[in-house]
Amino acid sequence: MNARDWALIAFTIMTQMSVGSLLVLGVVHYYASRKAGMEEADRLSDRSLLAIVVVLALAMVASLFHLGNPLNAPRAVTNLATSWLSWEILLGVIFAVVVAVFALMQWRKIGTFGLRNIIAWIAALLGLALVYSQSRIYMLVSQPAWNTLATPILFFTTTLLLGSLAMGAAFVANYAYVQRKEPGCADAQCELMRGALRWIAIASISLVGVELIVYPLYLGYLASNGSVAASSAKSMVGPFGLIFAARLILAFLGAGVFGVFLYQNATSAGKEKILGYLAYSAFVIVLVSEVMGRFLFYATSYRIGV
Amino acid sequence: MAKQLAFYVDISSCTGCKACQIACKDKSNLPPGVRWRRVFQYEGGEWVEQAGQMIPSDVYAYFVSSACMHCENPLCLEVCPAAAISKREDGIVLIDQDKCIGCRYCSWACPYGAPQFDEDAGVMTKCNFCYDLVDQGERPACVDACPYRALDFGPLDELRQKHGDFAGPAPLPDPSITHPAVVYNPNNVTKSAGDASGHLMNLEEL
Repeated sequence: MNARDWALIAFTIMTQMSVGSLLVLGVVHYYASRKAGMEEADRLSDRSLLAIVVVLALAMVASLFHLGNPLNAPRAVTNLATSWLSWEILLGVIFAVVVAVFALMQWRKIGTFGLRNIIAWIAALLGLALVYSQSRIYMLVSQPAWNTLATPILFFTTTLLLGSLAMGAAFVANYAYVQRKEPGCADAQCELMRGALRWIAIASISLVGVELIVYPLYLGYLASNGSVAASSAKSMVGPFGLIFAARLILAFLGAGVFGVFLYQNATSAGKEKILGYLAYSAFVIVLVSEVMGRFLFYATSYRIGV
Repeated sequence: MAKQLAFYVDISSCTGCKACQIACKDKSNLPPGVRWRRVFQYEGGEWVEQAGQMIPSDVYAYFVSSACMHCENPLCLEVCPAAAISKREDGIVLIDQDKCIGCRYCSWACPYGAPQFDEDAGVMTKCNFCYDLVDQGERPACVDACPYRALDFGPLDELRQKHGDFAGPAPLPDPSITHPAVVYNPNNVTKSAGDASGHLMNLEEL
């Protein structure tokens, strides 16, 4: 693993986190607006939307560090006919632009709600297409460890898990800000934040459940599917065993155990401080776990042939 | 349309001297670590005990000289996001370094390890069949360099008529994946792709 490989880890993790965050934010905003009205819903989510734009911009910059010849980067979209990588870059750029436009319109309240809603839906669909194209890049006949259903399943799980917990952390940070700057709306915001965190906790617990089910099945499949796939399984539990174990334990801890605490502390008012610590730590722990998971994804795939 | 060009490799004549590998590096001035043509040493078998003595049993070793196969179904060309890889009328697959973005995706896809990264230039490089020489009616440097006449080149269908259509000696991958434009003449111990009885030797030379 060198700097170029780490750039790829950073790029895929950040784009997937952005897509997931946008989806989670959309769902939360919808329910918040039904519960407390548009103004409070916007107050809950608008700042988080800007955070997504920043992460996406960083992802784009990171992707350039992967290239040996970044000056030719614009050429990366010239083989849409047969290359999923071309689709990833095209969808990534369009997604980033649409999200940025949507964030600006939402921030400055440009256009009607209906129009902004349509743009948000377009962004969400583009995001899903982006993650799908990303998973297809790796499904190469010459890479048996990648050429399985586990690739899209784990990519989408990462997307939703990081999206959920990133937005959990963002809501907590937003609430702290609102409490300081606009104390008048703190009560309604507190209610919305706690409601969102309960659902985020439930989502995280379910998603880490998916990971803990998929990994053993995946390893079993690799072990019995030819010598090259088997060597991927072997190195996952052998030389990379410690990282793999840490990745699973951290996912269980961050999304599972902290998820339960998060849910418990979000059920009643007055525990905002501990809720904040929990949301931040859950996000950081799961982020580390997902980065380790992505590292293993690249480090343990072997190409067939010579 | 011009006929698909291909390499012919006679495994039964090859001694693994690697003159082809060196001639290739020399002709195309390849940087350290980049080897367009590589000679794989594949060996296996064991000593077995018989009446209290160890005797050589099925021990074997052979060499497989291999470069870009200028495949009929080139995965590198298919996956390259920058459309930097093209296939000429005569089947030669080329990387245009002026278009390459250096993402190395082609090296993940190619099961022959043909596209290799040039660290200094930041772009991918690959055997180009010495097309500059071929276009002038000359022979690729590797073919010319072989002291055993184990290498040859020509239209794929002609080579197949002369030498058969065996294209998958171990440790090379199953030829049905990319349909490589190559013909190998096996010796009497050559295993087929997918064989698990042997292993690569002298990896530092690859």
